[in-house]
Amino acid sequence: MSETVWRVWARRAALAPGAVYALIVLSLVFGVFTAQFLTLHNLTNVGMQGSVLIIVSLGMTLIILTEGIDLSLGPVLGLAGVVLALCVKQQMGLPLAILLAILAGAAFGALNGVLITRLGLPPFVVTLGSFGMAQGLALVLTQGSSIAGLGPAVQYFYDGRILGIQVPIVMTAITFLVVYIILYHTKFGTYVFAIGGNQEALSLAGVRTRLYKTGVYVLGGILASVAALVMTARMNGAHPTVGVGLEFDAIVSVILGGTSFERGRGWLGGTIIGALAVSVLRNGLNLIGLSTSWQVTAVGMVIILAIVVDGLRGI
Amino acid sequence: MANDVVLQLERISKQFPGVKALDDVNFDLRRGEVHMLVGENGAGKSTLIKILAGAHRQDTGRIVLNGQPADIHNPAQALGLGVSVIYQEFNLVPFISVAQNIFLGREPRHPKIPGLIDHARMNAESQALLESLSVDIDPRSMVHYLGVAQQQMVEVAKALSVNARIVVMDEPTSALTTREIEQLFAAIKRLTARGVSVIYISHRLEEVFQIGDRVTVLRDGKWITTMNVQDATMDVIIQAMVGRTIDRMFPRDFAIEKGEVALTVRNLHRHGVLQDINVTVRCGEIVGLAGLVGAGRTELARVIFGADPYDAGEVTIFGRTVRGSPAGCVAIGVGFLPEDRKREGLALILPLRENVVVASLRRLFPWGIIKRAKEHSVVTDFVKSLDIVTPSINRMTKFLSGGTQQKVVLAKWLCTQSRFLIFDEPTRGIDVGTKAEIHHLMNEMVKQGAAILMISSELPEVLNMSDRIYVMHKGRITKELSREEATPEAILRHAMGVTT
Repeated sequence: MSETVWRVWARRAALAPGAVYALIVLSLVFGVFTAQFLTLHNLTNVGMQGSVLIIVSLGMTLIILTEGIDLSLGPVLGLAGVVLALCVKQQMGLPLAILLAILAGAAFGALNGVLITRLGLPPFVVTLGSFGMAQGLALVLTQGSSIAGLGPAVQYFYDGRILGIQVPIVMTAITFLVVYIILYHTKFGTYVFAIGGNQEALSLAGVRTRLYKTGVYVLGGILASVAALVMTARMNGAHPTVGVGLEFDAIVSVILGGTSFERGRGWLGGTIIGALAVSVLRNGLNLIGLSTSWQVTAVGMVIILAIVVDGLRGI
Repeated sequence: MANDVVLQLERISKQFPGVKALDDVNFDLRRGEVHMLVGENGAGKSTLIKILAGAHRQDTGRIVLNGQPADIHNPAQALGLGVSVIYQEFNLVPFISVAQNIFLGREPRHPKIPGLIDHARMNAESQALLESLSVDIDPRSMVHYLGVAQQQMVEVAKALSVNARIVVMDEPTSALTTREIEQLFAAIKRLTARGVSVIYISHRLEEVFQIGDRVTVLRDGKWITTMNVQDATMDVIIQAMVGRTIDRMFPRDFAIEKGEVALTVRNLHRHGVLQDINVTVRCGEIVGLAGLVGAGRTELARVIFGADPYDAGEVTIFGRTVRGSPAGCVAIGVGFLPEDRKREGLALILPLRENVVVASLRRLFPWGIIKRAKEHSVVTDFVKSLDIVTPSINRMTKFLSGGTQQKVVLAKWLCTQSRFLIFDEPTRGIDVGTKAEIHHLMNEMVKQGAAILMISSELPEVLNMSDRIYVMHKGRITKELSREEATPEAILRHAMGVTT
């Protein structure tokens, strides 16, 4: 029994070593070239900064497993942050503010899902459109400027500790656990693999595939909103364009983690490793003193390198 | 074996636009038997199965299951009635477990935690099911990592997990090796021993004798015969399959003088695909390439045209060796009319005009500038000479009929002044009238000195259009037949690898 569990894990892991290697190599390089990288303080920092990316990437993984993509997750995260900040500024109370922010993300997910499944439009085009819509809406709501000074209750989601562990790290762990259970222990998760792997087989089994596919995008939107909470807490404020580009990092993390764009192939653990690799890369380049613009270039190079290497290894 | 009838299909007819797919077909299935369903492509086997599975509705006739008339509207309903179909293409999800596949859409709930599925129960029940089939597959392994035969077994288990009393298998062995076929047959025997009835569609006639209890032959949508396998012989079945009257829609002139050698293939080998192929085609002749689907005919054509590589041997076209380059082949006068003309033969969203000249631009316009007037006159000439039915030469190719599209592909290669043409299923899916026209055009082309290599799965076409016929089986040429030697029986025999 336990041997089989190991075998299953080994097989899942076998899909993903690209990210593992990237993470190890990058850590070694930065560890050697900078004094600060391999300090507990910095590694905690990587974890905390990476938490936003990890949470978004988890949703992106499920979407990509269905042979879909969601380009709007970055701007949706920005929009959810704006909604959260505005509600807090209106003295609505934090729980309601969070709920509304999550609803905003879920609504965009539902919009994406319905357009994709009911009108049969390609996910790339639909989510490119909602990218613009979410972005525009966030700009309209804020009139293009930042909202700052939300107070300690919001900041708790970045600075606070639960049992001595930073809240973002706890939130990331809980989110991973929840998504893991959904993916591997519910019907919904089984159907995520099936939609990507063989949608025909799923509908022949009498399953309402469109409903489940829409659900995947809704979940993606919700997770973007959860990530928005961490992001807003970190900045103690919201900025309408803060999420733009995050969808790029998320897609990179998923691919790096060994999830394929075809046939529902991939695993959730890989995405964590992939997102950590991207975060380490950015953190390390920061320590070296490379500008943000060069960081984006580097991330782009890493993803192409990862795919080339995976291709050579025949994965 | 018990003789009680579990299923009767009574006087089933089904009309598709332009085709009577099934015409008054009767079929019955007994408890615990393996009933083989055979017939040529287009005989109506698949349509009959799809009606039983709820994927199509019959126009007339009725289905009687266990003595009760059954109205089957959709696949789920058929499953509910205990009818499970294993289609040719696998219906499995690759990256979930065997057990998850078997229970797809019917996942048992976790006894304690609401919302979760009960992996333990799925695994245990799948294990029991697989054991009852005597197959050794771990229900927890991912389907992707299983071999084809094991996947086939998972399909069988999946079909049985709904408590199927009737299992339909559509060419289940087409992807299996001999040893894997034995495994499958053993599993089928265990099924029938438990009283499950099997309808088994096959193109491999030897299987009729290996596994079948009774055999039913369909031809052109009609029921021809049902026999006990003990009373049947290979010859009787083949005769029943092909015994149609072959009409004169094949205007062929066989008195054409043969010219220079257009194609020589010597000892060609492509690993795992083609073995030891020797073929010659001369100008002035049509050479047929017969065989079953998957025998390697299209693969051979693609190698000749340079679209695929080869490992050993020699391909010479008009005395020149061209390797791995379709462009090089086109330059020396080769044209290829692919089987899937919509995907490989045409740019569907371009107008007819551009599809005709696309391969000849360098010849027509050596300076690289397209002159509309010249293009117009060239294309208009082809539209006239090939009798292409179109409102305008600017018509988007997508909107033309299948037969007209094939003529456009033909015009494309005539425009390049091809002298050696490879036709892959030249008239598949084309209406009868245009079919005869295309045959006529092929005859005219060889008359004017062209050479044609024609792949066709339609026996009448091969028999009536070819000067000579090569028959392929499993990547080898099993026989070269002259026009005089070629009979439907001979072709089928060699196509199925029967050597006696």
